[in-house]
Amino acid sequence: MEGLHIHGAAHAYGGNQVLTKISMVVPGGELVCLLGPSGCGKSTLLRLAAGLEVLQEGTIVIDDVTVATKELHVPPEQRRIGLMFQDYALFPHLNVIDNVSFGLIGMAKRKARAIARERLDQVDLADLTEAFPHMLSGGMQQRVALARALAPEPKLLLLDEPFSGLDTNMRASIRQMTLNVLKESGVATLMVTHDPEEAMFMADRIKILGHGGKILQSGDSHEIYYHPNNEFVARLFGFMNTIKGIVQNSMVQTPFGPVPANGFADGEAAQVLIRPEGILLAAGADNGGVPVEVNSTHLLGHFSVASLKIASDRNGAQEFYVRVHKEFLPELEGRITARVDPEQSFVFADDGTAPGEPMMDDLNILSPELKTLLSTGLEIADKDGKTAEAAE
Amino acid sequence: MAELSKSFEMECEILDRDHQELMQQIDKIVAVIDGNDDERCANLTPEMIKFAKQHFSREEALLTKVGYPDVEKHAAHHQNLDHKMETILDLAAVADENPLAGEKLKSALKFFLADDIIDADLDFKAFVKDREGG
Repeated sequence: MEGLHIHGAAHAYGGNQVLTKISMVVPGGELVCLLGPSGCGKSTLLRLAAGLEVLQEGTIVIDDVTVATKELHVPPEQRRIGLMFQDYALFPHLNVIDNVSFGLIGMAKRKARAIARERLDQVDLADLTEAFPHMLSGGMQQRVALARALAPEPKLLLLDEPFSGLDTNMRASIRQMTLNVLKESGVATLMVTHDPEEAMFMADRIKILGHGGKILQSGDSHEIYYHPNNEFVARLFGFMNTIKGIVQNSMVQTPFGPVPANGFADGEAAQVLIRPEGILLAAGADNGGVPVEVNSTHLLGHFSVASLKIASDRNGAQEFYVRVHKEFLPELEGRITARVDPEQSFVFADDGTAPGEPMMDDLNILSPELKTLLSTGLEIADKDGKTAEAAE
Repeated sequence: MAELSKSFEMECEILDRDHQELMQQIDKIVAVIDGNDDERCANLTPEMIKFAKQHFSREEALLTKVGYPDVEKHAAHHQNLDHKMETILDLAAVADENPLAGEKLKSALKFFLADDIIDADLDFKAFVKDREGG
């Protein structure tokens, strides 16, 4: 099979187990994103595939050729891989075309430069062949690095946080161009990122890596976002309103009404996680929800973020965060009601850990607007300590 | 006819035969999407999914027979594929008319076979080989 096949890969640095029995397939022409917080081992896996680390357990196969086992280590230059690092690693003393043709070892210079020109044309840099890296913007450097990685026609492309050095505006256009080029080339690509949105944009399949280097879930972006199989995965995509409760008659009571808890036994402690866009507001009309009081609202461009509490909750124990996909002006409205979108709410066992604990030390995984939102939520949680408690 | 790669071989005749059959059925669906076969995805894909479910049952029976200790875990893995199979069927229902759905179906099928089915089965390759061989 064309592409990458890793089975049972495990790796430790000293006594620190960073990868635990990782298996995955990246078929030819497909792009798999490894998504997880810092320190979960995703870059280590990339380095193992590249041959920059020696595999301690398992097997790595590229295009039907075994390149690593416990006993075998094919060096990186013999694996037919393309590598692209976060900092692009361009040679500062070489111009663009020499950077791109650098890896075409053993090829006549003329032919190497012709191939490099083709690759530069693919990334819209055909006019800058003689420029040096310091003369280029971050986005241009990224495109040179991509052209260089693709020039030797690798069997496998490995991308380590390829867009993290770019500003927000440039990132969107560069990643679209990168995706087009990768799909056109048909190369199998394994990309590492801590940015959920980036993974959802780029990947044919996302693999969620948790702490200790275990794959927690594997699927396309729809499946991962709408059907997370555990709390960690659900929280990876941003802030969650959390309501704790006890399952009764296969339901968990929430201030917005009962939420089905299929697969849970009555009496079991559970938590309902609701995305900010999973609380649906209606102004004036009755949407079948409960009346709420809006505490604050902020327009953040194409959506608004609001905080609210249940109108009948006189103690004001729990504040909820809502994202509305338009300008939201509760001050101009009368009665506002809220209900929960079942597609955006998830029930998991409540094992007693603090909500979101795995992610709190790694805010970098969140998009800037959700960072802001989550920071606000944390501040309130710290102040009254009740954000996670059920408003029963 | 496409052959299973060496790294995907279970070295267990029943399972390798099932995987090979699945691969051939998927190859045919991909050929339809690529315009190289006159059949319809909407007809072929439900048959492939039916075969995949039969394979899961056969495999679970085999694992029970040989006393594989994690048989329940593997059965749960099969159950967790329900959602992926539903997605595949949804895409296949429109893929004959909708090229975007066709491309997504191709990708989903590749991962379903290689990542979700065969690679997951490799976890018990050594155990089954040992028991069947012994």
